[in-house]
Amino acid sequence: MFDPFFTWLESTAFSVWMRESPSVFAFPIILAVHTIGLGLLAGINAAIDLRLLGIAARIPLLEFRRFLPYMWLGLWLNLASGVALLIAYPTKALTNPLFYIKLALIATALAILRVVRRRALGGSAAPPLSGSGNMKRLALASLTCWAVAIAAGRFLAYTYIRLMVDSVPTPRPWIP
Amino acid sequence: MSGIQIWLHQTLLKGTAVAEFMRSNWGWPTIESVHFIGLTLLFGTIAVWDFRLLGMAKRIPIAEFHRLVPFGVLGFAINASSGSMFLMTEPNQYVYNPAFQFKLLLLGLAGLNVLLFYTTAFRRLAALAPGVDAPRSVRMFGAVSLICWIGVIICGRLITFYRPFACGPTEATAFVLQCIPL
Repeated sequence: MFDPFFTWLESTAFSVWMRESPSVFAFPIILAVHTIGLGLLAGINAAIDLRLLGIAARIPLLEFRRFLPYMWLGLWLNLASGVALLIAYPTKALTNPLFYIKLALIATALAILRVVRRRALGGSAAPPLSGSGNMKRLALASLTCWAVAIAAGRFLAYTYIRLMVDSVPTPRPWIP
Repeated sequence: MSGIQIWLHQTLLKGTAVAEFMRSNWGWPTIESVHFIGLTLLFGTIAVWDFRLLGMAKRIPIAEFHRLVPFGVLGFAINASSGSMFLMTEPNQYVYNPAFQFKLLLLGLAGLNVLLFYTTAFRRLAALAPGVDAPRSVRMFGAVSLICWIGVIICGRLITFYRPFACGPTEATAFVLQCIPL
């Protein structure tokens, strides 16, 4: 149904450049940037989650808000690099259900971060709820979402059926 | 260099049980996922400390970040083990790979940086009150650490683009030299 769209997108100059440029600054570095953004966003979020779970309890929780700009930097890096990678191989990602699972998990993790920011990192006037059981559950959910999203992202490279719109489907008999 | 490479290659090939698991349908992608989760744990817990050393979030007593270190160590242990599993499965794709060689070099630098930090600067930092900047000499450790780990991630991602082809266990190559491109 979306094949004409995939055909068009894969023929755009940027998509062709991403796939075919021999430059290390095309696909390889953009892929590396995607991993650095992951480290900043999910990594610092993991540190915040660990603090919510009671590790390094003497660090004032509120102070973790100073690291938020680096997480937003990671988020923007990954939105930009993610879109570039998607334009390179739209059929590969968009025909794989796992891609949508990955996006949903990231959206959930970001929604949890929003709640944590408002309720524990001084994002609102309401008194902070640090250390409450509720916060610990949110922290665990956040860690789980990021871990499964990362795994889903890695598996995208091994579970696609159609690499490009006109390529021969890759048989993967072990995928249910 | 080549003698070490050949020895390493042949030693790694002895991990046949690991290689067999890695070649099963889900083996490689599963361990890759574990490697990336370990990366996140390691990089995140180190980066917050590096940012603090560089002057961010001054109200946090610097030494408090020490309590996050076990999770960084856990991330490192996860990645050293999962990384070794890749090597035992396809040793020639790593031993002769310039991206992997640079990755090891940067890992060594990062390790040296941690060692020097704990032996020279950490005791002084532990006594610092909240709200105090780290001395300029100590900031260097944060900067070196961030640069090294970002470099490790970049080199790690580039490994797949610098795979040497047709490298046999007895073929001699120099440091940072591709084997025999097909």
